[in-house]
Amino acid sequence: MPISYFLVLSALLFSVGVYGVLARQNAVLVLLSIELMLNAVNINLVAFSAFFGSEGVGGQVFALFVIAVAAAEVGVGLAIVILLFRNRQTVDVDEMSYMKW
Amino acid sequence: MPEGYFGQYVTIGIFAIVGTVLVAATLQLSRLVRPNHPTTAKLTTYESGIDPIGHGWSQSNVRYYIFALLFVVFDVEAVFLFPWAIVFEELGTAAFVEMVIFIGILALALLYAVKKRVLEWL
Amino acid sequence: MMELAQQVGATAAAVDWHAIAPELVLAATACIVLVADLFLPDDAKWLAMPLSAAGIIGTLAAIVSLIGAGNRLTLAGAFEVDGFALLFKGVFCVLGLLILAISFHYFRVGRYYQGEYYFLMLCSLLGGVVMSSARDLVTIFIAIELISIPGFIMAGLRKGDAKSNEAALKFFLFGVLSSAVMLYGMSLAYGATGELLLEGIRAKLTAADEPLIVLSVFFIVVGFAFKISAVPFHFWAPDTYEGSPSPVAAFLSTISKIGGFVGLIVLMFRAFPDVADTWRPIFALLAILTMTVGNMIALRQTHIIRLLAYSGIAQSGYVLVALALIEPGATASNEQAFQSAVIYLAIYGIMDAGAFAAAVAFARRGGSYFIEDYSGLWQRSPVLATLLAGFLISLAGTPPMAGFWAKVFVFLAAIEAQSYLLAIVMGLNAVVAAWYYLAVVKKMFFEKAELAEPVEVPAVLRVAMGLAAAALVAVFVYPRLVTELAERSLF
Repeated sequence: MPISYFLVLSALLFSVGVYGVLARQNAVLVLLSIELMLNAVNINLVAFSAFFGSEGVGGQVFALFVIAVAAAEVGVGLAIVILLFRNRQTVDVDEMSYMKW
Repeated sequence: MPEGYFGQYVTIGIFAIVGTVLVAATLQLSRLVRPNHPTTAKLTTYESGIDPIGHGWSQSNVRYYIFALLFVVFDVEAVFLFPWAIVFEELGTAAFVEMVIFIGILALALLYAVKKRVLEWL
Repeated sequence: MMELAQQVGATAAAVDWHAIAPELVLAATACIVLVADLFLPDDAKWLAMPLSAAGIIGTLAAIVSLIGAGNRLTLAGAFEVDGFALLFKGVFCVLGLLILAISFHYFRVGRYYQGEYYFLMLCSLLGGVVMSSARDLVTIFIAIELISIPGFIMAGLRKGDAKSNEAALKFFLFGVLSSAVMLYGMSLAYGATGELLLEGIRAKLTAADEPLIVLSVFFIVVGFAFKISAVPFHFWAPDTYEGSPSPVAAFLSTISKIGGFVGLIVLMFRAFPDVADTWRPIFALLAILTMTVGNMIALRQTHIIRLLAYSGIAQSGYVLVALALIEPGATASNEQAFQSAVIYLAIYGIMDAGAFAAAVAFARRGGSYFIEDYSGLWQRSPVLATLLAGFLISLAGTPPMAGFWAKVFVFLAAIEAQSYLLAIVMGLNAVVAAWYYLAVVKKMFFEKAELAEPVEVPAVLRVAMGLAAAALVAVFVYPRLVTELAERSLF
């Protein structure tokens, strides 16, 4: 399969993620959208890695690190969201406006 | 009995048909014979004889999210173990020591969780 | 998979343990602090701070032992110890000690998770120290995440305070978003060249697809622009600084920001210097916006932390000016711009941390973060007023403090590179900035105090601020102290 298929898929996934980040109000859904963006990165990395053949093992290694770091981020992010829900009874990012300017 | 390799599929097919018909026929038969008086009590969801409480979409206690977080982190750390296991024999002792350090640091995190009493099932 | 095995097996050469000694010491310290905190009784939890300080001093010792040992390349080329790396490792460790001093009384009195805080701070500091040496995409990525992720938690450390929660969430969402954007750019750079090492990327760039590289550089710069809070990607910074515990704000605006800059500089100068034409305009635009918007909004701030936040944004703009001067081939002016950026970052870290220290000291007992309460501080507490005035004057870029040279070097580099527009905008901004910094100084010295009692400053904080101010004066008197280091840090 030509590599452009994967790149287009990844670009679409990344765009869906960006849209989600901008349009969603629920913090958990924003988090999910960011995960989509990270997975788009992983598709890119693995597709390029396969494209380069035996030379391109680095991309796979990079993808592993991205997966691990994404898990850590989700752990921290969900903890923050839960904390926020405890104090404010909402996870709507539009209501996060105690501080402005 | 039909002969040959594909003939055995015919045998399986016959058994399948007979089995299906038998189950369907028995169910239909019992429907004809049994009395039918539905009441509210009879129509409730079967929950081992106890009155069902709440909905199918019940919420689990939020304090268990810590288990989920711990699981996610430790689960994903395993991605580093697989590549390591593949090259382990070639790299020898050094790789072993490095992985022990890696797992040791994770074990510190577990120690932290234990000391903070988040692993106690409430 | 066998190919994978061979590949990894081939590159798993011996590790140069001495080269990574600073990182090892710091990582071990972080682990020890975490475990020690678990077994310390509540009224002895503050011991985590001296323990951390000892670890950072140990790290500094390891860094000093590497001076003069020549360039070392290890971990298959992903990790390099050179003049640049050593300089910034040193800067990070010194800043780490300053932040510890700022944190000590704040967290001891407030009893907010002291052990966890110091552990997280050391982890984040480790990220900065690793970043100074990172020479491939994976290491840079890991380093920037190591700086950021503990930062998310530290910002939300005051668990019951809704403002702190909000600070953490904003910082987290922007931080993770920026990582994703940056990673997408990195994956494109990898795709265009097939290399993860920065040197490899640079070597193969000539043959690479041009549009792919432009896109990749664009994504990477946008990702880092969030981290260094450049306008228009700065929205999180003032809210996060205000909402998080003040020592954490000091940390974020110094170590975390400088860490982002170090990563950006390494990437741009080691991987993409030959395509500087594609990224110079982006930096020029970011620099002009960042300086101007940061200073304009800072003018109307009444809260000292928010003032420092917006002024910190503007300060990022001055460093971006230096990065916007790079032209492929113009070696002399490139070197000058590079050195001015390095000098600016080093001096900025010290003076900004000092200003935060003074703000925390003032707000400690019954004080506040509002600038109007600073009036007449000179009568109440001459030492604190003088120190804070010193740091603000340095931030404003007026003599007799080191901040003066920081701005002058960037300005001269801009003249040298014939970027007169940037030089003019920078000069105008320096004047605007001086206005609001000196307004605070004027309040402290020439207005009457409403309260009479002196502001009590803990000894640790006093010593730290005194040393920082002394260093700034020393650098002003004898700028060779930093220019020498900057010359040695040339790539």
